[in-house]
Amino acid sequence: MSTETSTQHYRVDPHARFRVMDDEGIFVLQDAGEVLVVNEVGAFIVEQLKAEHSLDEVITSITERYAVDAERARLDASSLVAELLRAGAITRS
Amino acid sequence: MSALTIAFAGSRYRFAGLNPEQLDLVRSRFDALLCADDTQPDVEVDVHYAPNPEGFMRRPVGPVEYRIAVVHGEDSVAVAGIGFTANIDRTPLRAQMQTCLADEWFLGAFENLFRVIACYRLFSEGALVMHSAAFTDGARGFLFCGRSGAGKTTLCRLAEELELGILSDELNAVTTSGGTFELQAMPFAGDFGGVPTPHPPYPLTGLLGLAHGAAPSVHRCSKAEAVSRIVASCPYINADSLLVEELTSRAAMLIERVPLRILSFAKDTRFWSVLDHEYRNQHAALSR
Repeated sequence: MSTETSTQHYRVDPHARFRVMDDEGIFVLQDAGEVLVVNEVGAFIVEQLKAEHSLDEVITSITERYAVDAERARLDASSLVAELLRAGAITRS
Repeated sequence: MSALTIAFAGSRYRFAGLNPEQLDLVRSRFDALLCADDTQPDVEVDVHYAPNPEGFMRRPVGPVEYRIAVVHGEDSVAVAGIGFTANIDRTPLRAQMQTCLADEWFLGAFENLFRVIACYRLFSEGALVMHSAAFTDGARGFLFCGRSGAGKTTLCRLAEELELGILSDELNAVTTSGGTFELQAMPFAGDFGGVPTPHPPYPLTGLLGLAHGAAPSVHRCSKAEAVSRIVASCPYINADSLLVEELTSRAAMLIERVPLRILSFAKDTRFWSVLDHEYRNQHAALSR
């Protein structure tokens, strides 16, 4: 179960590298030598987090950019954030 | 104590300080790649034999597969495995190995360290060394990147049935030459085995990832997936914070010139007719 708060900020983990490529995003997780790919929406969310926007602000940006309602945006963003935290790709700041 | 030099993929590696038992073991494995001349090596490795096993990772009772420990520092890379420790200086690239081994276990330690050194050497020369299977039909080179379980050894066994030339089912290098990409064999084999033999470079015709499927097919993937598959396949370098940005950039450059595709295959030789057809015009283009 996610324990993330809507005002929480995140950053790319110091042991990870993130790059956008043709709208999709790539995380290289150095400690594990693993690579994660996120889709266009995922890459947008990560870019927003990197720009020091809170989860709430990211959700607002998603609804403005993509034709989705706030509830769907919250579910998608929270799910992605939880997955990236588990993988060690991002960390709370 | 004696020394020998091993050459492949355009680089020479000189190992000094080997005792007679260690020398024989290395010769028995790398005989075909030994250099007889005195040309200056590109990488020098000093081996120090310390027979007391205290302080080294202990041997297991039975056969075991394990991952060596690699720690990336600012100026050097530390490596440790069963019966050995080593330090690889980044600039100039050279290494020191301490080992308590002089029997068949030494060869395993030697190869484990040699893999890491070769990855760093070739990366410094602009190459990408990938966990991969590779084979050639004599004119075209095909590389299939993927980690353990992806099907690399299976594919090599099938390619051997088709009398294609196997480079390695474990590590292969992609180098650049005159603006084109070449496939170079590395003298390390996985489960497929085989004694290292010299290979000329082959034009990199097919760059593929592997997937299992009922019927053979080749399909495209996104740039992000292609880059991620390549980066994930580059051992040691992809875990090195000082090199991972450069690695990702090189992978992106590579797929601009040689797009990565995904080969789905079953455990039979039908994949070759699909590949041969998919890349048939590449032969003509490369030959011009």
